[in-house]
Amino acid sequence: MDRETLLTQWAELREVEIFLYREAELADTHQYQEWFKLFTEDLLYWVPSNSDASEVGKQIALINDNRPELDERLFRLGTKHAHAQSPKSRLSRVVTNILLGEDWLGAVGGTVSSRVLVTEVRKGKTLHLAGRVVHVLARQNGALRMKEKRVYLAANDEVLPNLTFII
Amino acid sequence: MNQTAVTWSQPTPSRSAIESLVQEGRVHSRVYTDQAIFDLELERIFHTAWVYIGHDSELPKIGDYQTRQMGRTPVVMVRGKDKQVRVLINRCRHRGATVVETECGNTKLLRCWYHGWVYELDGSLREVPEPGGYGPEFKCEKMGLSQVPRVASHRGFIFASLQPEGESLSEFLGGAAEQFDMLVNASPTGEIFLDAGVNKTEYRGNWKLVGMDGYHPNFVHASVVAGWARNSESGIGAMHREDPFSDAALTLTRDLGHGHAMLDFRAQRLKSYSKHADFLTKVPGGVQYVEDMHKAYGKSQAELLLSLSGDPHLGVFPNLQLIGNQVRIIVPVAPGITQVLMFMVRLGGVNDEINTLRVRQHESFYGPAGSGSPDDAEIFERVQTGMQAEFNPWIEISRGMHREYTDTDGSVVGRITDEVPQRGQMKHWLHLMTQAT
Repeated sequence: MDRETLLTQWAELREVEIFLYREAELADTHQYQEWFKLFTEDLLYWVPSNSDASEVGKQIALINDNRPELDERLFRLGTKHAHAQSPKSRLSRVVTNILLGEDWLGAVGGTVSSRVLVTEVRKGKTLHLAGRVVHVLARQNGALRMKEKRVYLAANDEVLPNLTFII
Repeated sequence: MNQTAVTWSQPTPSRSAIESLVQEGRVHSRVYTDQAIFDLELERIFHTAWVYIGHDSELPKIGDYQTRQMGRTPVVMVRGKDKQVRVLINRCRHRGATVVETECGNTKLLRCWYHGWVYELDGSLREVPEPGGYGPEFKCEKMGLSQVPRVASHRGFIFASLQPEGESLSEFLGGAAEQFDMLVNASPTGEIFLDAGVNKTEYRGNWKLVGMDGYHPNFVHASVVAGWARNSESGIGAMHREDPFSDAALTLTRDLGHGHAMLDFRAQRLKSYSKHADFLTKVPGGVQYVEDMHKAYGKSQAELLLSLSGDPHLGVFPNLQLIGNQVRIIVPVAPGITQVLMFMVRLGGVNDEINTLRVRQHESFYGPAGSGSPDDAEIFERVQTGMQAEFNPWIEISRGMHREYTDTDGSVVGRITDEVPQRGQMKHWLHLMTQAT
């Protein structure tokens, strides 16, 4: 990639970075409804189980939410009786290795890949979850929105504890 | 083959001590917290009784294998060249290393990579490197991988017992045997496949806490119930139109003997069969599914099977549960650590859309990020923490004792909120834990 293209992309990458950092912040601080607003109307929030190659709807996923399902998940987490989040997990995540996909078009959006390391602390236990994240972003009324968020956890075929927070 | 060589005495709880832990309507918390009790459970339950290993469909081809655990014993279930499934102890006869290291796969031979001993799929020892190092008394045919002495299956569910002699699998399953039909016959062709993924979960609590309990849902799953109230047609919500967990419901608890128990939803679900059928007809392939079920099983049985949608809600003591759209294995790790493996069941002979619907139903409630399982696990952890208190150590399981009755098939029946399953489980637990002393 020549220097000029790189510099042009830098501004777009910076915009995506800021979007992902803001998304991470809302997830870490359990601001469910604000986080939900980052999605487009038609959405997929998908965290596969067992293998990164597993197919949506064919093999069970850890999370496979469309809009109504994600709405229900966030509604539940917002009630006082989601016991697995009472007390809530304390979360701190690092988002890094952000790359714009081949299909990226500044005016439209496209695929963005990144790496995440989520540290979760709850009831005397610390959990580190690392994974590759693929966002499909779409530009709507000038702003970036998530059409898809797919999280491929390195541990998705391991024995897993409570993962009831936003991954 | 010499399975056991030496037993040495170690301080184990006496028969009378164990008996004192299980009383009428109550159980001492040490049953769930004590290391010596746990060690004895592995010996007298998991190393003795029939234990569920896996399903036939997990090994479609010759050479397919899956590693599993029988108490402390690592085993591998493998399909041999003769197509027979064997359960071999995953321990090299030379210096004890596990021979199969990956969880599942396909292989031609079983090779230990410590010193290169090679076994056939049936466990027999094929060759050792540098055989000249052994004298004439060394016989390959005596050094095969140890076979778990008894292996038997019921409707594709493979069980094994480390005890060379004892009751047959059908004696062991007893009244629970016919409940497997409620799952397997949810397929119009009577075929199920455990090939759509597995949730591997863990909680910090005792393995006996994950049982059949119809008293907890409105509290442990309060957030889910609140969600259903918002949209009664969504996912699992559609399956629970009227509160099935109220004493007024037609739902029952049933102790089938041998520690096996179920939440009996049959009458309650059947009552709303037409709603289930309506729901299915909206799914692509649903009309065909309903039709095929009627053809295969006749009207009344088809309606029952479709109403239950493959969920007998059955616990087979000690380590198998058929719940929702899944087959579960309970793995005891320590007194306060348990793994629950949830294998998604794919139905044979139905449209892909039906299976996708079932996958989505499962995903919404079960697994480490589902709406249900993590709340169960959270409560089990609270129980495990609370049970450390021994000031007043009794766990109360007397609910419904005054109103339970014995059905014509010999099973003990209570209302859905009654602790019939817990009492049945503990009765058999006590039997197994004291039979050897």
